[in-house]
Amino acid sequence: MNGWATFHSDLLEQSPLILMGLTKTLQLTAIISLSGLLLGIVIFYASLSRNNTLRCFINAYISFFIGMPLIVLLFLIYFGLPQWGIKLSPFQVAVFGFSLNVAAYNAAYLTSAYNGLDHAQMEAARAQGFSPRQIFKLITLPQVMRLSVPALTNQVIGNLKDSSVAFLIQYTEFFARIQELAATNFQFFKAYLLAAIVYLALVSVIVIAARLIEKRLVIPGFTS
Amino acid sequence: MALIEVRDLVKKFGDQVILNGVNLDIYEGDLKVVMGSSGSGKSTLLRCLNRLEEPTGGKIVFRGENIMAADVDVRALRQSIGFVFQQFALYRHLSVLENVTLALRKLKKLPAAEAKDKALAELERLNMASHAGKYPSQLSGGQKQRVAIARALAMDPAVVFFDEPTSALDPLMTREVADMMNRLHDEGVTMLCVTHDLKLAGQISDKVVFLDKGVVRAEASIETLSQDHADERIRAFFGREADY
Ligand SMILES: Nc1ncnc2c1ncn2[C@@H]1O[C@H](COP(=O)(O)OP(=O)(O)OP(=O)(O)O)[C@@H](O)[C@H]1O
Ligand SMILES: [Mg+2]
Repeated sequence: MNGWATFHSDLLEQSPLILMGLTKTLQLTAIISLSGLLLGIVIFYASLSRNNTLRCFINAYISFFIGMPLIVLLFLIYFGLPQWGIKLSPFQVAVFGFSLNVAAYNAAYLTSAYNGLDHAQMEAARAQGFSPRQIFKLITLPQVMRLSVPALTNQVIGNLKDSSVAFLIQYTEFFARIQELAATNFQFFKAYLLAAIVYLALVSVIVIAARLIEKRLVIPGFTS
Repeated sequence: MALIEVRDLVKKFGDQVILNGVNLDIYEGDLKVVMGSSGSGKSTLLRCLNRLEEPTGGKIVFRGENIMAADVDVRALRQSIGFVFQQFALYRHLSVLENVTLALRKLKKLPAAEAKDKALAELERLNMASHAGKYPSQLSGGQKQRVAIARALAMDPAVVFFDEPTSALDPLMTREVADMMNRLHDEGVTMLCVTHDLKLAGQISDKVVFLDKGVVRAEASIETLSQDHADERIRAFFGREADY
């Protein structure tokens, strides 16, 4: 029942594939974290518009993507869109689908931080002669980003964990390779324990990085 | 010629008439105080004068230019009018120094070193230079308000507006801000202050303008208004005990 020997040799044999999978996991996580952040900022900016139609559209966007299970979104794009002649690679689908989803969450975090700000500051900036764009860049965004560091880094952790779902659309990331390993020698417990340890280690790295960022950005008396 | 001439200024919010033909002149070097009860439209008046609020009718002439014209550069207008708020409204993520340099660098486009020198000089003028590295949350109310005044003065405005600058302050800090305003007055800074704080008004000005029901109802010394004015409501407003 032990099977350490076969597990070891299979692990060794498949380690290049597993490492490639791990690289793909990290790649996907990094890309969607960045694109999700940038798109989230754009959506948040648009949500501050005075244009009612645009604001309604943004609210609908956020509700829609927060309400929709990620896997449904990915399947819709991966299996559904080809019926309309749009065929994307698993990687493209993952980046596209995750970004839409992650951006909605990030925009929601930024919005709730914004609601807690002292809005007299924006009025003061307007009275000084700053344009709405300058106010966003110089006052609103720096404050909102600071206040959102914990939520945004939690989202990065979520991105790492959720990226494992991408194996369901044939994106051969880390978890997909671990499943192959498990299937070769039926040592499910060992294979998935290995996966758990790797994910935990990566999450720890993100948590430590987040603490450092938070420390660097700390401003006396500036909390929500 | 007056620096600011307000003629028959009207401001409505929907059907609600807030300002109903205000006439007011502010001359260079004035420290003009406008008083009125809560909701009388004092803030609205100031906000119309720098177009934070769109006036409904009338005329505002600033340095000889009609600033209600369609082609007025509103942002340039605002840069030449300092604004000090009741709640200080300091930028909370910036140090005291950065609060003052921000507009100098981003609007006046001064190089960083020049902006810093200018900001430090203004902070010095308000006795706040030694706090330049602190953040707003580390200051007392009176200190915050002095930083806000320094931030306004740094832009070399033609006039500084004060909207209830002391109503968030205790009497001691009110005195501190009033003294500062008096000193700036001596230095020739043009100021327009709206408040319902009789104590502040008494400390900074001999004469006040009384805004009531959308119009300027009187302009006289507080003493005259409290004792000799024909209208009993005006006597009551100015005769009340300064309530703090
Ligand atoms: N943006 C707005 N929309 C609708 N009504 C407004 C708006 N701003 C002000 N008002 C109304 O205009 C009136 C005058 O308000 P304003 O703030 O100018 O009074 P104030 O004299 O400054 O009062 P306070 O002493 O309380 O500051 C109030 O009745 C207020 O409800
Ligand atoms: Mg007011």
